[in-house]
Amino acid sequence: MTDTTNMIAARRRSTEFRLVLMAGLITAGAYTLASLGQNSVIPPRILPFLAALLLVLMSAHIGVRWLAHGADSTLLPVATLLNGIGYVMIARLSERLAGLQTTWTFVGVAAFIGVLFVIQRVNDLARYKWTFFFISAGLLLLPMLPGIGFSSGGARIWVSVGPINFQPGEFAKIALALFFAGYLADNRELIAAGTWKVGRFYLPEPRHLLPLLAAWGFSVVVMVGQKDLGSSLLFFTLFIVMVWVATEKTSFLVIGMGLFVAGATAAYFMFDHVQTRVAIWLDPWSRYQGKGYQIAQAMYALGSGGVAGTGLGLGDPTRIPEAKNDFIFAAIGEELGLFGATAILIAFLLMIGAGLRTAMRTTRPFEKLLAVGLTTILGMQAFIIIGGVIRVVPLTGITLPFVSYGGSSLVANYVLLALLIRVSDSSARRLGEIPDTATFGERFATRLAQRRIKRHPEELEAMS
Amino acid sequence: MNLRIRRFAVVLIVLYVILFAQLNFIQVGQKTTLDADTRNTRQTVRDFNDPRGDIRTSDDVVIATSVRNVAGSEFDWQRTYPEGDLYSAITGYFTFGYGATQIEKVQNDVLAGRTIEQQLKGFRSLFNGQDTTGTVETTIDADIQQAAKDALGNREGSVVVIEPATGAVKAMWSWPTFDTNLVAVQDSKLAGDILNYLDDIPGKPLLANAYQERYMPGSTFKVITTAAALDDGLITKESTWADESEFLPPQTIDPIQNYANKVCGGDLPEVFRRSCNTPFARTAIELGPEKMVAAATRFGIGETIPFDLPRATSSQFGDVDYFTQNLPLLGIGGFGQGNTQMVPLHMAMVAASIAHGGVMMKPYVIGATYDHDAGVLQRTVPTVWKTPMTPATSSLLTELMVGVVNEGTAKCCMRLVNGIQAAAKTGTAQLNAADEPERSHAWIIAFAPAETPKYAIVVMLKGTTAEISEGTGGTLAGPVAKKVLDVALAQ
Repeated sequence: MTDTTNMIAARRRSTEFRLVLMAGLITAGAYTLASLGQNSVIPPRILPFLAALLLVLMSAHIGVRWLAHGADSTLLPVATLLNGIGYVMIARLSERLAGLQTTWTFVGVAAFIGVLFVIQRVNDLARYKWTFFFISAGLLLLPMLPGIGFSSGGARIWVSVGPINFQPGEFAKIALALFFAGYLADNRELIAAGTWKVGRFYLPEPRHLLPLLAAWGFSVVVMVGQKDLGSSLLFFTLFIVMVWVATEKTSFLVIGMGLFVAGATAAYFMFDHVQTRVAIWLDPWSRYQGKGYQIAQAMYALGSGGVAGTGLGLGDPTRIPEAKNDFIFAAIGEELGLFGATAILIAFLLMIGAGLRTAMRTTRPFEKLLAVGLTTILGMQAFIIIGGVIRVVPLTGITLPFVSYGGSSLVANYVLLALLIRVSDSSARRLGEIPDTATFGERFATRLAQRRIKRHPEELEAMS
Repeated sequence: MNLRIRRFAVVLIVLYVILFAQLNFIQVGQKTTLDADTRNTRQTVRDFNDPRGDIRTSDDVVIATSVRNVAGSEFDWQRTYPEGDLYSAITGYFTFGYGATQIEKVQNDVLAGRTIEQQLKGFRSLFNGQDTTGTVETTIDADIQQAAKDALGNREGSVVVIEPATGAVKAMWSWPTFDTNLVAVQDSKLAGDILNYLDDIPGKPLLANAYQERYMPGSTFKVITTAAALDDGLITKESTWADESEFLPPQTIDPIQNYANKVCGGDLPEVFRRSCNTPFARTAIELGPEKMVAAATRFGIGETIPFDLPRATSSQFGDVDYFTQNLPLLGIGGFGQGNTQMVPLHMAMVAASIAHGGVMMKPYVIGATYDHDAGVLQRTVPTVWKTPMTPATSSLLTELMVGVVNEGTAKCCMRLVNGIQAAAKTGTAQLNAADEPERSHAWIIAFAPAETPKYAIVVMLKGTTAEISEGTGGTLAGPVAKKVLDVALAQ
């Protein structure tokens, strides 16, 4: 599959191969250590585990090699490392969930390859921006539907269809980023120009701004209605960042911040649960017996970890409620210490770096905005939840991308990763780093066309 | 757009640097505070969940050990005390959520394998999977300890046996006590309830009465007054006191009386073995506050006993100013009444110092600590604490105490088997005022064999029942001391 004549692609893929292998070795090592720490035995299923791990890692790598061989070489390895560390922590917390997470990882990697296969010309997606608008709206509304939607842990963000429960919001954010990117790529100049004069200020024509505001307002209202503060914060940030980058107008940033402050203040006075979140952020200790318990336990866990950590399997992270999920960062901080927790931060910074580099390299506005949007989702989501766990910002429950337990989150993040890698590969083609060969779809279409011409040459004549 | 993307990258980097800074603040800066938070059960859980070494007697009876719990329990290990309540004042307890006491507390690092030596050795055990827990060997002799428990029975009081030459505690028992297994349970709420219940019982079973409480010593204190006067040269073996039933000290109109108002007098051996009160009251007052207080200080009274178990208390006599104002109290203090208070362990040490040529050793109950491979971590070296009297005085006191056993207040009860000669001094500390019903502690201090002492003992029975209050130190405490010494010397 590899174009051996192409040095750049070959170098990138061989780097990726080595890094993915390293991520696999770290995961297998950590898995063994966690088992030794917990039960003092080498995990009995280490060989099947290794086999499955290598299978899934290599499938993802071969997927990139086959379908996007010019793409950035660090995105996939860092994601698999985060996935691996998360898996080790989940396995250490609950064997049952580890089995499920394995399944989700397989589904995630399959989705990753599937997206790379189906979407070979990422710019084509811009055409479907309104489709993505309705998809994201539909996904966000889904949990509100009686019968299939249900609440868990205070937030109504779940949908149950048959045996499968999932959080449509995880996918809605990708659809929303696609819509914003598509819409802003088309209309950014009109919005930036500002031809509507209000007093001394020039504002964008309402008809250009309206769809954006609608999309954003819709998602925020739904999110607040579903009590999912983390996601609404994430959507808000996504919206502000994308409009700001697209229009290059600082005023949008200022207006956005203003709206944010106003919205946050309003939410604080309107909703009890927002006030509670702020109160336990400022002082979890006085509410130790109630809502502050989780944060207090996270603090104890992090303190107990110290600089070097207690060692995998040797801490007591099961004391933290939801350690497998929103609070997995505290469990990592306990057992891997400041070193391990910092490694996670660096891993996310590497992904942010690779994502934004991808955004800067590409020349097409849609791809650029899409890469910025996807990177914002990844980087801000990690910041919001880590910051919530370690009390930099009030806690708002969302998952830590690739690390937390959860099928919807993992699969959605692999889809997000595939899109980023696709943008990266696409810019490599345009920059001439790799030959811009026809995609499968294009080759198939060409063959169909050739066959038709052979059978009905008169059509070609008619066209000319 | 690239400029904005670059700026956005900077913003994200700043956000992540803030996360990193906060992580440092929590995991490094606040670590100590967080670890010390009383609501933070992590360290306790870890301790409770880890294997823990044994505590054993000097004759290898295991008195505290950890056994593996059945699979599926909340904790992997369970601390158990195979001998029930017999060693509760020595091992202490190790609870989930309520801390530890006695050896479980002071030797926690050794037992949990956390001393630096053990940690260094533990590097190897990382690879062979062995635990690094250590063992604590006490100086307690299981037979003597059992004998002390049996002899005291269900009477409230304390028995302490020590080795005069070293200060090693061979037995230390007090009743009431409690079974440490009751509070080493996995259910922290249950443990708390039991501890609260035990704390409310009047006899204070949670306290190791033998070294954490002090009581009026009665006439056993006369050995201290006698030692002070002999060392001062105020009296000699030949000093005599006229027969009298009471003595009127200065500053009062209330005379000091002999026990049961008996007429009492004679030379030193006689007044000592009959335990007359007035000669010792006169002696204390003649010596004066300064010399009496100095002598008490030489015996370590007023200082916390330098014991190797936590929360030892101190004996009390009084200070110079106080006695100068209250000479009658100095007089009755001279025979162990008034405000004089002695810790039972301390009285055993007083007996031991007489037995050991006038040298008082530091008492200790932790003989040695060992790592997992039976290598010695630390062995207690006997050290001198006080030198309360000259060797000449100690041998004369021994002679006087032999007289107590052969012809005096302990004649009834201190004839040891195999004709071994014991030396003793009895005490009956009157707690009631003149017009109240009789209430008294019964004491005896002793050592044996008198010529080459191997064991010194104190027996103290609290005056909580009519039976004890009506008896004397000789008739009540004497038989207990005899039984324990017989067992000890039979070895």
